[in-house]
Parts: sequence; C-alpha cells; structure tokens
Amino acid sequence: MTPYLLRRVLALVPVLAVVVTVVFLLIHLIPGDPVGVMLGPDATPAQVQATRQALGLDRPLHEQLLKFYSRVLRGDLGQSYFLDRPVTTALLERAEPTLVLTLASLLVAIAIGVPSGIVAAAHRGSAWDRLLMLGALLGVCVPGFWLSLNFIYLFAVRLGWLPAAGYTSIFADPVAALRYMVLPAVSLGFSQSALIARISRSCMLEALQQDYVRTARAKGLSQGAVTWIHAFRNALVPVVTVIGITTAILIGGAVVTEIVFNIPGLGRLIISAVLRRDYPVVQGVILVTATAYVLINLAVDILYVFIDPRIRYE
Amino acid sequence: MSEAAPRHAWLRRVAANRSVVVGLGILAVVVCAALVAERISTHNPRRLDPPNRLQSPSAEHYLGTDEFGRDVWSLVVHGSRVSLLVGLTTMLLTSLGGVVIGLGAGYYRRLDLLLMRVMDGLMAFPAILLAIALMAARGPGVWNVIFALSVVYTPRTAMLIRSTVLVIRETDYVQAARALGRRDLGIAFRHILPNCVGPLLVQGSFIFAYAILAEAILGFLGVGVPPSVPSWGNVIASGKNVIREAFWVSLFPGVALTLSGLSLNLLGDGLRDTLDPRLRVP
Amino acid sequence: MTAGRFVSRGVLALVALVLLGAGALAADTPRRGGVLRVGNLGEPPALDAHWTTASITETLTNHIYEGLYSLDAGNRPIPMLAESHTVSRDGLTYTFKLRQGVKFHNGKEMTSDDVVASLTRWGKQSIYGKALFAQVAEWKVVDKHTAEMKLKEKSAIVLISLAVPNNFAAIYPREIAEKFPPEIKVTEYVGTGPFKLAEWKPDQHIRMIRFDEYKPRGEKPNGYGGGKTAYLDEILWIPVPEVATRVAQVETGELEFADDLNLDAYDRLRKNPNVRPLVSKPYYWLVAVFNKKEGLMTNQKLRQAWQAALDIEPIMKNVAGGKSEFYRMDSSLAPVEITAWHTKLAGLPWNERNKEKAQKLLQDAGYKKEPIRFMTTQEYKWMYDFALLTKQQLEDVGFNIDLQVVDWATLVKRRNNAKEYDVFTTGIGAFYDPTHHIYLTSSWPGWTTDEDILRLQAELARETDPKKRLALWEQQTRQFYEKVPVIRYGDLFGLRAIRNTVKGFNEKTERIRFYNVWLEK
Repeated sequence: MTPYLLRRVLALVPVLAVVVTVVFLLIHLIPGDPVGVMLGPDATPAQVQATRQALGLDRPLHEQLLKFYSRVLRGDLGQSYFLDRPVTTALLERAEPTLVLTLASLLVAIAIGVPSGIVAAAHRGSAWDRLLMLGALLGVCVPGFWLSLNFIYLFAVRLGWLPAAGYTSIFADPVAALRYMVLPAVSLGFSQSALIARISRSCMLEALQQDYVRTARAKGLSQGAVTWIHAFRNALVPVVTVIGITTAILIGGAVVTEIVFNIPGLGRLIISAVLRRDYPVVQGVILVTATAYVLINLAVDILYVFIDPRIRYE
Repeated sequence: MSEAAPRHAWLRRVAANRSVVVGLGILAVVVCAALVAERISTHNPRRLDPPNRLQSPSAEHYLGTDEFGRDVWSLVVHGSRVSLLVGLTTMLLTSLGGVVIGLGAGYYRRLDLLLMRVMDGLMAFPAILLAIALMAARGPGVWNVIFALSVVYTPRTAMLIRSTVLVIRETDYVQAARALGRRDLGIAFRHILPNCVGPLLVQGSFIFAYAILAEAILGFLGVGVPPSVPSWGNVIASGKNVIREAFWVSLFPGVALTLSGLSLNLLGDGLRDTLDPRLRVP
Repeated sequence: MTAGRFVSRGVLALVALVLLGAGALAADTPRRGGVLRVGNLGEPPALDAHWTTASITETLTNHIYEGLYSLDAGNRPIPMLAESHTVSRDGLTYTFKLRQGVKFHNGKEMTSDDVVASLTRWGKQSIYGKALFAQVAEWKVVDKHTAEMKLKEKSAIVLISLAVPNNFAAIYPREIAEKFPPEIKVTEYVGTGPFKLAEWKPDQHIRMIRFDEYKPRGEKPNGYGGGKTAYLDEILWIPVPEVATRVAQVETGELEFADDLNLDAYDRLRKNPNVRPLVSKPYYWLVAVFNKKEGLMTNQKLRQAWQAALDIEPIMKNVAGGKSEFYRMDSSLAPVEITAWHTKLAGLPWNERNKEKAQKLLQDAGYKKEPIRFMTTQEYKWMYDFALLTKQQLEDVGFNIDLQVVDWATLVKRRNNAKEYDVFTTGIGAFYDPTHHIYLTSSWPGWTTDEDILRLQAELARETDPKKRLALWEQQTRQFYEKVPVIRYGDLFGLRAIRNTVKGFNEKTERIRFYNVWLEK
C-alpha cells in the first residue's frame, strides 16, 4: 500500500509543475504590454518601468519562470492591484463561501444522484428507470445558471419562500446560512446529480450481476437485502471516482452560481478581477482551484485503497 | 474480405438508433434557424425601441421584448449563430489538436511522458475557470472564446485518441506493418486514424455541447462575446435585471440552450451506443 | 352613576391617554444601538474626500470627516468645525476661529495646524479647492485655534466652497495631510466625524462604528449640519452591484437601506408593507463628457453635431422606467430645486433633434467615421441605458460609436487619462454655486479650456453682487450651449428604499446621511 501511495504523491509533482507553468504563461498571452494594462492609465512611465523590473518582466522567459516557481513555493502569489493587498489574503477572505457552496452542492448531487441511480438499476427497464434517466438527461442539458434564475423567479420572487440572493456564514447564523444556501446548492447540485445518477446506475447494474450477488440470492437473501447491502458497497468505488471529478466541475459551476446569487466567494472575486484587469488575482484563483482539484483526486485515490481491497496488493 | 460490408452495417446501425435520429433532428432545426436567421427574424435584433420595452409575448413580438425594446425572438434566432459557430469550430479544433497530440503521445513513448503530464495539468483547472482566465488575458470577442474553449477541451480528446492509439498499436495489422518497414505516418493514416473516427464523433458531439454551454456561461458572466453581439448568454444576463417584470427575456434563450444541449447529448449518446460498445452504459 | 364611578372612569381614561402618549413619544425617542446595513452600488474609488468628486466617496467620507463649514436646509453655509469667522473691511482677509476640544479618531485634538495642512492639500487636488485657492494669496496659522486666509481679489465663494459636501475640504490630521501628496489617495483614514472607519474589505463591506468621543454641536440638526448624533453602533456599507439584487435585499430585510435603484421597482416597493420608496429630487442630470484635451472630440463641430442629433425625451423616458414622474426635461444648468441659479432661457440649441443640422456639422467637421470611444458602466444602470440609446441615435445620423463598458471605479480612474477615451457618461448633481459646476473647469476630467467659459467662471468667483452674478450665469449658460463642453440630457430623479424600522432619516437632503438616524427594534 505504501509504495502505491508514494507513487501517487510523486506523480503529483509534474502535474502541479504544469499547473504553475500554465498560470505563469497567462500573463504572456496578453496582447500588448501587460504591465501597462495591469497598472492602468494612472501609472507614470517611471512606475511602469519599476513594476516591470519588480515583476522581472524584463528578464528572459526561463528566468522569469524559475522566479515564479520560487515565489509560488514560498506562498507568495503577488499583490492585487485593485484590492491593495496580497493575493493570498484576498483568496483566504473569499474561500469560505465557495467551499460551503461546493460542499453543499456536492451533498445535494449525491443525495439526488445516488438513490436515483440505484433505484433505476433495481427497476431496470421499467417506467421508473426511464423517468429517472430522462431526468438525468435534462440535468445534463439544462444550463445550471438558467436553472438558478428560474428557481429565483419561482421560489423567491413569486412564492417568496426563500431569499433571492445573498450569503451568511454558517458560523455567524446557521439557520439564515441554510436559507441562503438552499437555492444555490440545489440548482448547482441538480446539474451534477445527473452524471452521478448515470454512473451509480451502471455500477449497480454491473454489481448486481456479479457472482457473489447471485450466490447471495441463491442462499435465500431477499431481493431488497441483496440490493442494498452487497451491490451498494461494491458500487461505491466508481461512484467515489465520479465524486472526485464532480467536485472539479462544481468548483467551476460555483463561479457562475456565485454571480447569480451574489455570494462573495472566489467566483465573484475572479470575475471582478477580470473586469478590472487585476491579473495577479486571476492567476491566484486558477492556481488555487487547480491545486485543490489535484489534491482532491489524491484524496479520492487514497480513499480507494480503503474501500477496494483489490488495490491493496498492487 | 472487402471493407464495404462492415461500413454499410455501421451506417445502418447509426441511422436506426433513436437517440441519433432525434438528436440530429433537433440539431438540424437549430442549424437551419441559424442559417436563415435574417429571414425568420421579425426585427433587427440590435435595434433599440424604448417605447416598446418589456412587452410580453404577442403577435408583433413572438417572445416579447427586453428592457430596451429589442425583440427577443430575433435575439434568440441570431444568437444561435454565435452558439453554433463557437460550438462547431471548437469541436473541429479540439478534434484536430486531440488527434495530433493523441497520436504523438500514443505512438512515441518519450513524447507520451511529456504530453500526458501537460494534458493532466491542463485538465486540473476547472474548465470554466481556465476559460475565464484565458478570456481575461486575450480580451472579449468570438475568436478569443473559440481559442479559450479549444485550449480547455483539447486535452480530453487527446487522452481519448491516445488510449485508442495504444490499443491499436498492439494489434497484428500494425505490428506487421512496422515489421515491414512502413513509415509511421502511413501507419497512422491507414490503420490508426480510421479507428479513431468513431470515438472522435462521439467525443465531438459532447464537446460541441460543452462549448455551446460554455460560450453562454462566459457571455452571461460578461467575459465572452461583447454585449453588442446577440448571444444567448448575453440576453439571459440582461434578462436577469428585469426578471420580475419580464421573465420571458431570460426564459427563451435558456430554452434554446437546453434544446441545443439536448440534441447534441442525444446524438453523442446514440453514437456512443452504436459505434463504440466499450464505452456503453447499459 | 355615582361620583366615585365617574372619577374612576375618568382616571382610567387619563391613564390610558398618558400611556398612549408615552407610547407615541417612545416611538419617536431615539434608541441607541444596532447595525444599519446599506446597499451601495459598488466600490468607492477612494475614501479620500480631497481626491475625487464621485458621489459614493462623498456619502461615505461625510460620515467620518468634517469640514470647517457645512450646508443648512436652505443650502447656505453654516459653521461646523469653525466656531465663527470675520471678514476684513476690504473683503480680502478671512479669519477663522476654530472650535476647541474637538478630537480626531486617534485621540489627537484638532488645531489650526491640521486645518491649514488639510486645506492646503485640498486646494491642490479638489476641483472646488483649486477654484478657491486660485484666489488665495496666503493661508496660514495665526494661533492654536485661529487660521487666516488672505485673498488676491474679492471672492464670492469662500464660505460656500468650504461648505460643499462633494470633494470637500475635509479636515485631516496634519501628519496625514502632509504624508500623502495631493495626487496620491490617502490610505489612513482619521477624521473628526461621528463615525470612524473600522474596516474596509473591498467587495465585501465598509464598516463604520460610532466614535464615542464625538462632541456634537449644540444646535438642532439643520440640513447637512447642526448637531450630529450617532445613535447607531455600526453602519455596514455593502457593495451590491446588481440593482435588482439591491432592491430585493431591502424588500426581504437583508438591507435596511439601498440607493441608486432602478425606477422599475417603484410600484413594487410601494406595495411592500415593510419598505418605503423615496424619490430623490434632484438626483442627477445625465451628461456625456467630452475629452477636450486629446482626440476626436477636441473638434467643436463634432460636439455640436452630437448635441444637434439627440432626441432626449425618449432616452429619459426609457431610463426612468417608462414613468414620466421620474424625469424632467430642462435645459437649465442648475436644477429647479436650486432656485437661486435656475434659468429659463429661450432659443438654446438643446434637444433640437435636428438630423440635417447634425449631418451638416459632421461634414463640416471633416468626420470620416472614425470610432469614438464612449466609456460607460453598468453599475449605474441609467448610465449604461442612456449610453446605449445615445449610440443608436447617433449612429442613425452617421457617427461611429465604440461603446466601452467598465466598472465605475475603473471609469473614475480612467477618465483622468486623456489617452483612454473620447467621451464618458456620468451624472451632474446639484451645485450650490455657479463656480462649482465642475464641468466648466479645466481641472475636472474632460478639461474644459474654452477661454470665454473660463473667463466667465473667474468673473463669477470675483463678483459679489447677486444680481450681477445671475446675469453672468445666464451668459455662461449661452456659452455652454454654443461651445458644448459636455452634453446635457434631462433631469433624472432617483429612487431609494428604506425599511420602516429606520427612523430619523432626513429625506430632504440630496445625499444620504445616517447620523441622527436610529433603528427601531
């Protein structure tokens, strides 16, 4: 097990190296002079030159890259030009709402997706199966942000049951926090539940056909017991994989959802940074989210080891 | 054994698949709408008409008007052009890029190590966030959207092609060809690429769908196509401001988006079921 | 009925009356405490009052800073940090006596050193400061609580310039005023106001808390001045750029107050039992400001063409959400509410909607369809609206308009740079004196340099006779419409929403203030 884990962790290094390189290259994709664009029209030529030197943009590319690496490794993501503070500070200030939204949507996606998949598999071919899979198809095709708007119109504007926008921290006021989270998490989670439903269904179907399941049935265990106990446990492995990928998509989906619901998270941060040409913040957000994705996948892989006994002996 | 018989069987299977038919049908409607947009529009979509702002759907304005009096039907019809242009071009570029990279990686072991790390790295970024960052660097505009989305989605295709190549490389045909001294490029074209067509079509349909959705998201966020160009995302964004007074402005472009996505997902599912049984979901 | 019963009934009635009265009084008795959440349309470009004329900055800084003078309910200067002033017989020397024992937020006592340093800085950066200090020969400390201003010429504008709340002569501690050169925004915020800045988290909130050592003036509240009491523990200014969200949040109670709302929301707000809509008159007149330093719009004929082409009423109507009660067509440079300077001149080339004249002017200007960079923002929804509608009207006549949409804070920064734009949108609020019309100066973005206009402004600063000033002002208005430094559209009224739990709010002032305001439980 340990050599496997070690290999997995070492495999992270080149991937993260590529991530950091891509983030670095972003500035160099800007047409024209990036420093002039970043500092904006207020800057005097002297300031532009000073910033260019400070950022090392007057040095050859490979030198700049090395410098960038060393900065990132030290945790220095630069300074935000608009917010007048280090990028890391800005990121930390906005991380909580995004984390809460991603987690809540993940829970919703699992809560809708897994039971749907299992039920559909258990009643394969029936009207239930078809209905659930139709729902899954719609979940994939209906744009999440449009669904959010429709939810706002229905539940906030017309019915007035829930707030139209906003955010409160769970640590400040749990009940209010929940009320604000319902519409965002459900609209974001619904879109992702579709994939989870499909995968759960196919995994369940496979598992249901395994030898040990047929043996269990032959031994006389009821249909229900077989379904829920044995098959479910084995279907867990691929489902856990999907959850890893889903989280990545959810982090992306959280961006849009934050804009629709006026939630002060990383999504709102990156959009205002783009509009204000605050490139260090843009770089910081994508660096952090990509790293989070890589680490989540690592966690999923480690989780695998404990769930699927077959892997242990590799 | 001639190659003609299997090819025809292949085509017949595809044409018989219900998902493919329905998907293609809806897609055809959208494409036609885009092609004859000028003719089926009732108004100039960019024309502001303040006295007629926020009108609900009527005989004069099929889908109503927005806060500046622009006709929503015309906006939706014209918006399909941007969506289809972005979707199709992204699909073609990612297919091309994916084939080149996938072939290189699958065939040459040394390249594989490098290329796959790069692809893994690119795929670590949540798709939309990477697209937003690229738009931030390049600025607004249709071609920048296409560039950004192509960068974002090429790795997926590359991985797919690579795994296809890895399998086929070990087959007897290819081993024999190499033993005979055939050049790599010839092998690629003769044996490997034809087997990639199936997966490419399947993957392409899905990427078409992702690209249409991504373009709309970028437009909605204000970092895609400029607001002066009619696009589904832009219209939904403007409708958000007046959702209480005029819910139809955000409603109809979203329906169009859903239908387009539906058609391409059905097409992709159907193609996958018929062309590539390995990827089948039972 | 026995006498006893009668008496007890009477006593009961009396008690009931007293209780009722007490209840009514209690409702009007200010309550200390609470957090007021206010929805702003975005981030202020700065919290340095000397640095910018932006209204958000004005509103925020007037809670934490004060000036020597303030404006009363009639828009006349009244003392604030000054105790009194005297003017020499020849009108050239103003001696200001300061209030004693006024503390800054950092505990330091305010003295004339702080006042002289602050006004010196203001005089170099603020539009109103520069206009006043153009007339100042010397400004110095006399003793700890006295400062003296010696003028080069008689001036009509000393007190009013020191009283105006926009881009105002806020008194900073001397150390801060000297540490930050005028062009650089201060980043340390210490004032004498009833609230102090607790924290500024961009895009999240600006938090102000009560300054406990604040000593209000003895008078009753009067306009922007008089006694100011901070009943609230805290004011939380939250940026909510989406106007629909801002309205929704007041309706649901997540915010107690929101300003700059879209007028579409008026009917809905009226029906809500917990919220009251406030229509603010005047709010702004809509204006397109030309870059007269560099670029295409230095050409006067092009500017005249733009002015001739416009059909203003449909634009105003659309911007006002289709409701005629929310806008007013008027060509006067000072709105109706500023009665002293409102003009009713005939024959002005305003709202001519004359396409032929416009096209002829375009030809005479030698215009070859080059793109004109028109900068606007969606954060003030009405700016974006009138920009988009203007673009269409102008393109129908032959202009080529390149509309550039940015956020407000960026627009305010960029409009200082002549290379970045040709025209930008903004609103002109109420000015209390003709010399304060910033678009007629050479220092405000747009840079009006026309000799006749600048000459008339200088004369207005000098002339003290009100009748003569009005005549000069009418001349200036005619010059304005001939030289077209900016385009004046119509007057727009504003919409604010306030929850019924907010008490004591002064609805009559043009800008919002939350001192003397309390929250009902």
